[in-house]
Amino acid sequence: MAKVGVYVCHCGSNIAGVIDVAAVRDFAATLPDVVIARKDLFMCSDSGQEMVKQDVRDGLVDRVVVAACTPRTHEPIFRAAVEKAGLNKYLFEMANIRDQASWVHGHDHEGATEKAKLVVASAVGKARNLEPLEDKFVPVTDAALVIGGGIGGISAALELANMGHKTYLVEKRPSIGGVMAQLDKTFPTNDCSACILTPMMVEAFNHPNIETLTYSEVDDVEGYIGNFKVKVRRKQTYVDWNKCTGCGDCASKCPSKTPDEFNAGLSDRRAAYIMFPQAVPKKAVIDLDHCINCAGREIGTAPKINQKTGKPILAPCERACPAEAIDRSLVHDPQGAIKEIEVGSIVVATGYQVMEKDWFKEMAPASPNVVTALQLERIISATGPTEGKLLRPSDREKPHTITFVSCMGSRDEHFHSYCSRFCCMYMIKQARLIKEKYPDMVINMHFIDVRAAGKGYDEYYTGARKMGINFFKGKVGGLEMLPGDKLRVLAYDMESATSIDYASDLVVLATAVELPQDAVSLAQKLGLQFCGSNFFRELHPKLGPVETATEGLFLAGCCQGPKDIPDTVSQAKGAAAAAAVPLAQGRVKIEPIISEVRAEVCSGCGICAPLCPYHAISMKRAGEERPRAVIEMSACKGCGVCTSACPSGAIVLHGYEETQIFAQIEALTA
Amino acid sequence: MIIDQQKIDEAVNTIIGYGGHGILNCVQCGACSAICPGVRAGFPLLCRNLIRHLLNGELEEIIEDSSSWGCQACNRCTEVCPRDVRPQEVVFAFRRYQANELAFSTSSITSQMNLYETGHAVYTDPRAARKRVGLPEETPTSAFDEQAKQEIQTLINNSPMGELGLF
Repeated sequence: MAKVGVYVCHCGSNIAGVIDVAAVRDFAATLPDVVIARKDLFMCSDSGQEMVKQDVRDGLVDRVVVAACTPRTHEPIFRAAVEKAGLNKYLFEMANIRDQASWVHGHDHEGATEKAKLVVASAVGKARNLEPLEDKFVPVTDAALVIGGGIGGISAALELANMGHKTYLVEKRPSIGGVMAQLDKTFPTNDCSACILTPMMVEAFNHPNIETLTYSEVDDVEGYIGNFKVKVRRKQTYVDWNKCTGCGDCASKCPSKTPDEFNAGLSDRRAAYIMFPQAVPKKAVIDLDHCINCAGREIGTAPKINQKTGKPILAPCERACPAEAIDRSLVHDPQGAIKEIEVGSIVVATGYQVMEKDWFKEMAPASPNVVTALQLERIISATGPTEGKLLRPSDREKPHTITFVSCMGSRDEHFHSYCSRFCCMYMIKQARLIKEKYPDMVINMHFIDVRAAGKGYDEYYTGARKMGINFFKGKVGGLEMLPGDKLRVLAYDMESATSIDYASDLVVLATAVELPQDAVSLAQKLGLQFCGSNFFRELHPKLGPVETATEGLFLAGCCQGPKDIPDTVSQAKGAAAAAAVPLAQGRVKIEPIISEVRAEVCSGCGICAPLCPYHAISMKRAGEERPRAVIEMSACKGCGVCTSACPSGAIVLHGYEETQIFAQIEALTA
Repeated sequence: MIIDQQKIDEAVNTIIGYGGHGILNCVQCGACSAICPGVRAGFPLLCRNLIRHLLNGELEEIIEDSSSWGCQACNRCTEVCPRDVRPQEVVFAFRRYQANELAFSTSSITSQMNLYETGHAVYTDPRAARKRVGLPEETPTSAFDEQAKQEIQTLINNSPMGELGLF
C-alpha cells in the first residue's frame, strides 16, 4: 500500500489569502493512503523542501503530493528534492491550488477552499497509483544547421563553429550578408555596415567548421532533437562555381535587364549577375526567369554553327567567361541538387522584409520621389545606384528638402499593430548622414513618438536635434504629387496643434518590418508556430526567447520579431549557445512521460499512426506476423492522442495511465 | 488641468454612447488632423485635438465650441487613421452630445429651420429648374407633401430639437 505525504503551501498570501490552508491540510489527512499532511508558508523554500526530504528519508512516505502553484515552474524543483531524498522522482505529483483555485476564485474564499480540497484529492488519487519511471537518453549528431545567412545567421554559425561544432549555414540568395549588406552605415556609431560585416562574412565562409550553402533552401526536415535529417536544395546556378572566379564579365555582357533586388529595385541588374561587389562567395548565377537565351542558346541544347567560320555560335555570357564556367550546352537540372545533411540542432535566422510603398495609397506611391527607407539606404550607399550621391529618383537632381515619415504600416491596425522597433533609429541615422554631408539640406522628420531605447540611442537622437534636423510630433496624413516632381506634405504638429503643409523634394517612408511570404512554407517544414504579430513564436516571451515549442529548434533575429543589429547578434549568440547544449552533452534526455505500445495487445490497425502530431508512430512488421505500431520514444511528446484513439487499449501513456486517471476522476466526482 | 478620473470616464462614456466607439483606440498620432480640411480651415477642436480634450475629461468646457459643426463628413480621417478610431464618428458623437444639451452652433440654425419647414436641411426652390427640363414643378418629397411635412415637424417637436425654441 502506498504511503502518501501531502504538503500544502501558503505561497505567502497567493494561496492563503483566499484558501483556508489548514482546512485543506486537515481534509487531506482523511484521504485514503495519506499518512502525513503538513503545511508551510513556502513549500519551495529550503525549509519547505527539507520537510519533504526528511519524511522520505525517515521512510514515512513513498509518494509525495505538493499542493501549491504550477508544475510548469515548480515541478522540477520538487522532483529534484524527492530524488535527492532517495525516492524515484516520478512518484511526485503536484496539485495546482493557486492557478486553479485561489487566483481564479479570489472573490469566494469558501468555494475556493472546497475546490482546493477536490484538486488535492484528485492528486492523491493519482499519486496512490504512480509507478516509478526512468529517464531515457538518445545519442546526438554533433552538427548544427543555421538557416539564413544574414548578420543573425552568420553570428550564430560562427559561435557554434568556434565551440567546435560542425555547422551548415544555408542562405537562399547567392551570397550571405542579408539586409545588413544593403545598409550604408549603422547607428548609433555610424560604422560602415560593409566594413564591419564583410570580415565576418569571409570568416564564416572560410571557417573550417562551417560549410556555407548559398543559393540553397531547406526542402524538408525530419527527425527530432539530436537527430534531424535535413534535405537542402541547392538551386540551379547555371554557372560552374568550381570554375567561376567572380570577375563579373558575364554580367557586363548579358543584355537582359531586370530590377536589382539588392538595390531595392532602384536600378537594374542583368540575368547573369553577381549579387553585390562584396558578395561571399563572389560567384555569378544566371537567373533563368529573366534570361532571354541569346543566340537561341537554350540550356541543354547544342549551339548553331557559323556557316562561314565553322565555329559554334555561343551566347554572350558563355563567350565572356574567361574561366569557361558557363556552358549552356550542358544539361542542367532546373530543380538544382539535393544535399542531405544530419544535424543535432537547428537555428532559424531567416530575417525579415520591409513593406513596399504601394500599400500606402495616401502616400502618393506613384511618385518616384517617394521611397522606402531601404531604398534611401541604397541611394546613400557607395555601392548603390547613384554611387553614394544623394540624387532623387525622378530626375537625378539633388533634393533640397527631405521628409521622413514614420510608422508606415507599423502601429497600424490595418497592417501591423506592432512597433517595428528600429525605424525611428535608422531614420535618425539616415537624416544625420545626409545632414553631415549636406549641412544646407532641410530635413523634416515626422514621428508619432521617437523610440530611442537602447545604449547610446537617445544621445544619438539628441545629437540629431543639435545638428539642425527638424522633428515634429504627429503622423503625416497624406502626400500629394505637385508639378516639378515635388510632393505636398500634409502633416500636423501635435505640440502646437497646428497643420503643417509644405512641398518636399524627396519623401522617405519607414515601412513596417514583416516576415516574408516564404517563411510560411519554411514554418510548415520545421513545425514552427506563429505569434500574434505573425513572427515565429518563441517558447516563452521572457524566459525562452530563443527556444521554440520543438526541442532542438531555436530562433534568432528578426524572424522572431523586429530587432536591430545589436539585439539580433545578442539573440543569435544566445541561440547558438542553446543549440550547442545537446551537441556538447552528446546525448539528450527523454522524459519518460511518453507513450508505449503493448505489442501483444496491438491489432496492427494503424489508426494511431496518422493521428500522431509528431510523426512518432510507424507500423513495423516483424517476420510473418501482423504489423504493429512502434513509437519512436525520442519523437513522442506524450500528448496522449494515440492512447485515447487506440481501439484495443494497447497504448499506455506513462505518467497518465488509465488507473491513475480513473482514480483522479473518482476523487473529483466523489 | 486637474486630472479627474470621474470626468474622464463620463466624457468617454458619453462619446461612446453617442456612437464614437473607437475613442479609446486613439494613440494621438495626429494623422487625422494632418488631412482634416476643417483643421486646415482653422477649426481648432476637430479630430486629434477634440479627442485629446475628451480624453482629458472635458465635455462642458468645450460644449460651446463650434468646430464640430465645421466637419464636412469627408471621412478622410477614417481613411488615414491607423488605429480604427473612426475620428469622424467621434466628431459626430460630440455633435450629438452638443445637440442634446441644446448647444447648437449659430452656424447650423438655417439648416435646422430648413429641415423643420421642408424636411430638407439644404433647400432651394426647385420649381423653375424642373419646369425648364419638362418635369412636374413639385418634387415628390416632403417639401411639397403636407402630410410628410407635418410628420417631420411632429418628430422634431418631440425631440430635443423641439426645445430649442427655433420653430
